[in-house]
Amino acid sequence: MHARRALSLAATYAVLLIAVLLTLAPFALSVITALKTPRQFVQDGPLALPSPLTLENFTSLFTTSEGGFVTPLVVTLQMVAVILVGQMVFSVLAAYAFALLRFPGRDLLFWVYVATLMVPQVVVVVPLYLMMSEAGMRNTFWALVLPFVLGSPYAIFLLRENFRGMSTELMDAMRLDGAGTLRLLWNLVIPLNRPIIVTLVLITVVTHWNSFMWPLIITSGPTWQTVTVATSALQSQYASNWTLVMSATTLAMLPLIALFVIFQRQITRSIGASTLR
Amino acid sequence: MRPRSPVVGYLLLAPSLIGVTAFLLLPVLLAFVVSLFRWDLIGTREFVGLANYADLLSGGALLNSLVVTVLFTVIAVPVTLALGLVLATQLVRAVPGSSLVRVIVVIPWVCAPLALGVVWKWIFQPSTGALNALLGVRVEWLTSPMLALPAVAFVAIWQQVGYVSLFFQAGLARIPESIYEAARIDGASPLQQLRFMTIPLLRPTTFFLGVTQVVASFQVFDMVYALTGGGPEHRTEVIASLIYNQAFDSFAVGKASAVAVVLFLLLVVITVAQQRYFGRRITYDLS
Repeated sequence: MHARRALSLAATYAVLLIAVLLTLAPFALSVITALKTPRQFVQDGPLALPSPLTLENFTSLFTTSEGGFVTPLVVTLQMVAVILVGQMVFSVLAAYAFALLRFPGRDLLFWVYVATLMVPQVVVVVPLYLMMSEAGMRNTFWALVLPFVLGSPYAIFLLRENFRGMSTELMDAMRLDGAGTLRLLWNLVIPLNRPIIVTLVLITVVTHWNSFMWPLIITSGPTWQTVTVATSALQSQYASNWTLVMSATTLAMLPLIALFVIFQRQITRSIGASTLR
Repeated sequence: MRPRSPVVGYLLLAPSLIGVTAFLLLPVLLAFVVSLFRWDLIGTREFVGLANYADLLSGGALLNSLVVTVLFTVIAVPVTLALGLVLATQLVRAVPGSSLVRVIVVIPWVCAPLALGVVWKWIFQPSTGALNALLGVRVEWLTSPMLALPAVAFVAIWQQVGYVSLFFQAGLARIPESIYEAARIDGASPLQQLRFMTIPLLRPTTFFLGVTQVVASFQVFDMVYALTGGGPEHRTEVIASLIYNQAFDSFAVGKASAVAVVLFLLLVVITVAQQRYFGRRITYDLS
């Protein structure tokens, strides 16, 4: 019995070890490469450890004309911030209306919102591009954020589910005291639903920091490039300079990995819970 | 609750309603309209009826990308689900250290598919890449017509397994331990327990993951763009790549919209069919 238990424990650890190695190897390899000089990369092959250790790839991302990653970082941060604030505010307002108010056409409208969950971004990017071009907004900051800033049906759907689960007693009491809709939202609804709101904030940041297809299509040239678009452009421009390219991918991924490690409990818990529906 | 004036409701909905209408409903409608035109980014706009669809079919591009997308899905989704389940069964044993592993395996999922694609493009490079150096071979992973699609699917699997395992872990945690005790007393082997208890009891989770993963893999773009751009010889040109290449390489916006319409209808059919077919079966009587 003991032997069998030890064996199954060993099997478990074997699976976990393989999973960790396979998961981390590409990250480790790309960081190792980013810390090498181009000369060492060519001479010693892709698997050699960096010697000498150098940050020149990272510094040239920011200082030389090859990289130019300052603008993409600023653009991406601005884009994520604006989309995040807009999406959270307008989604909370809409979810509140759907969950807690009564007005004609409410359920029909909600059904329309849910139906749009089936519309993939790939299908709408070409017409969106035509609309933005027609409006003269191609390659502008507004074109990057406008399609997303007014709220997300997905967020509205999740928030509505949570808002409906709240007890109405406190709300009625606050209303009797003469509290308006906005005060009710700010002082009661949002604090009571903090977990789902934090989850949505994280999902929104991840989604839009990583977004690529729309920024690729709607921007041209370096002015409004996001980090993902700049990484892709760098790769096609300096195809054989892998040490530089790997420093760019490291930069593109590191902020989100850090964010995830800090908030992993919130993220993993909410993912598991979302299957319960 | 005292019903208030409906104006408040409409006011609160107004911003998101404008967004949904202008940036989701209108573009879908526009995709249908544009698909009926020969519409080039250079300037031509001419009504041609269904000619774009006919062109795409006779040229083989649409059929090719459908086959590529289906192949990609058929490779990636089952393997992702199977590996995710295996990983989850080991993670829920909660051996010391597994909480750290649980976090690590999800890391690829939070990273930009574009950036991961670029990293893997380097790893797959024939002479300067890490994989061939590690294996001591010289294989053209991404430029050989036979290997390119499996290589792309491999990266997609690698990115998703940890994420998928989170859902399976949650599903496994909901199965009461007492059932397994009863099975052990009755002499069921671990494999029998997996086959006749765990897998059937996980059906709701598997169904949910199956639907979301299939729908997502029909839309894959960033990773393919970074790894192959659709080549070699269109062997990895998934539907989204075809849309992009038609619109922004060939500037044939009409044709691109026709492909988008086909993809949209396909996804609607998949979603509805899966709901219809599995919807009735997802509950499993626990008592």
